[in-house]
Amino acid sequence: MTPAAYIELKEVRKAYRIGKEDISIFSGLDLAIPQGDFIAIMGPSGSGKSTLLNMLAGIDRPDAGSVSIGDHRLDGMGERALSSWRAHNIGIVFQFYNLLPMLTAAENVELPLLLKPLSAKERRDRVGKVLDLVGLAGREKQRPSSMSGGQQQRVGIARAIVSDPGLLLCDEPTGDLDRVSADDVLQMLNFLNRELGKTIIMVTHDPRAAGSARRTLHLDKGQFIEAEKAA
Amino acid sequence: MTFLDLARKNAWRKPLRTTLLIVCIAVAFLIHGLTASLLAGSQGVSAASDDILGVMSASGRGQPLPMAHRVRIAADPDVAAVGYMTRLRGFVDVEKNVVPISAVDPALLMETNGRELGLTPDLLEAIGQGRDRVLVGRALAEAEGWSVGQNITVTAFQVAKQDGGRDWRFVIAGIFEGESASTDTYFTIARYDYVNAARAKDKDTVDAFIIKPRDGISPGVLAAHIDALFANSAAPTRTQSEKQFLEAFLRQYADIGLIVDLVTGAAFITLLMIVINTMVFAVRERSFVIAVLKTLGISRMTILTLVLGETLFMFIIGGAIGLALARAGAIFAGPSLGLVFSPVVLLHATAIVLVLGLATGLVPAVNAMRTPIMKAFRAR
Repeated sequence: MTPAAYIELKEVRKAYRIGKEDISIFSGLDLAIPQGDFIAIMGPSGSGKSTLLNMLAGIDRPDAGSVSIGDHRLDGMGERALSSWRAHNIGIVFQFYNLLPMLTAAENVELPLLLKPLSAKERRDRVGKVLDLVGLAGREKQRPSSMSGGQQQRVGIARAIVSDPGLLLCDEPTGDLDRVSADDVLQMLNFLNRELGKTIIMVTHDPRAAGSARRTLHLDKGQFIEAEKAA
Repeated sequence: MTFLDLARKNAWRKPLRTTLLIVCIAVAFLIHGLTASLLAGSQGVSAASDDILGVMSASGRGQPLPMAHRVRIAADPDVAAVGYMTRLRGFVDVEKNVVPISAVDPALLMETNGRELGLTPDLLEAIGQGRDRVLVGRALAEAEGWSVGQNITVTAFQVAKQDGGRDWRFVIAGIFEGESASTDTYFTIARYDYVNAARAKDKDTVDAFIIKPRDGISPGVLAAHIDALFANSAAPTRTQSEKQFLEAFLRQYADIGLIVDLVTGAAFITLLMIVINTMVFAVRERSFVIAVLKTLGISRMTILTLVLGETLFMFIIGGAIGLALARAGAIFAGPSLGLVFSPVVLLHATAIVLVLGLATGLVPAVNAMRTPIMKAFRAR
């Protein structure tokens, strides 16, 4: 791994079997991303964006090749080690928020902290700070069903950053939001990247969303076909 | 919030479904609690002693033994005390209202199992006041609404008097309480001398001798020894512990243990299927919740524990309600129905609550644990 590469994929191969046919997604994908970068990944459906994100999250594995993040080789880790790694190193922001409906906003945000050796008060304090950071102070007791899409996505972001991970993986974070809410979310991601130094990988179909990233990578048929700097 | 809160909130996500499941579990444990209480208290079996021996005719419990046997039994150096009794089953007012009577020598009964029955010197003195005096057990007195000093008439099913009548008149001299709640007190103690003098046949015979072995003597060995003593006599005996006798007596009518096992077994198997089925659907329904928890880094074992905790939570609530109702039933109807909700019943039921809670949760929990994250997200 080069000293600058925080995320590194080498010769990654991945195929899915559909019926009797093997569909190749990646056949030797390479990628190197330095720490603190904010990358948007775009591409048509079936290009492998979600598969790439799943591999970076450790919830899917390559058939061959290596996936490294920081000092960890994900492709060689067992289920238990991957769970623990996810709990301590990454935050995931989903397109449809994936908040647990029976929990309040604060409880949803608190979930990742249950895995950490923190007292109830420490957890409450940290949840309060993060909700304040995403502009949801005072809405701790609200349930997701009583919040707008933008607010729910902010809870999702708060949940992703509450355990202070170095890497944020965002799967279409603005895909289900109106323009105003989407802009809010993108501003927040920019803030997290520029002010808090989080490395962010964002999969998106939306060129406006991609425009807020530092770089955009285009993925097609399992290969990055071009890279461009954001304006 | 803790993982326990999370399991609880998961369980209450669909309040109606969870409430119905808890009611279902409560009913199953109410049935179990009542039937197990019936078994435990089956007319005193739970409180019956393994140490006190009953000597009956080897030809059957309906066959009397000669009083002469008592002298030979009492002569055995391993016997501390020996009493005797003859039964006088009858009814009051209507045939369904059966009243069991044991005609005994009260002083000898006091020596053999006076402590277990809760007999006191005052009660002994009271029954000694007249030949027609009787002591009534607390459970029977409450069921019949009898009190001390009351005259009662019991119509015997079989034992006729010398005048041809079957109505036996008694005066209640006292009420005995029994040593513990599980002691059978649903019977009356009458005086043998009164019944023996008045009955038309089988005079100077008894239905059973009651033996208290000396300390340190094995009841089983003594029982075999006594039976050997009369093996070649005209009236051979069969000696059993009080507990064995009562259990054998009850089995003549029905194997209550088997009935309890079948009833509760059927209830629990039905319950098991209902809860497993519902939980499998409930877990499948919120696959995405499981997937989210996994992506947050919550381990497969914690997911397994969460789902198991959820079913356990429902079983503990439902089980506690059912067993509390069974206990209330045993308190209010116990004396007349012979229900004893003993600590053993509670302990046994608690163990079943835990085992069933874990067993029913296992299938959905393992499913939740093994479902891959991506598949779980797709199932949303």
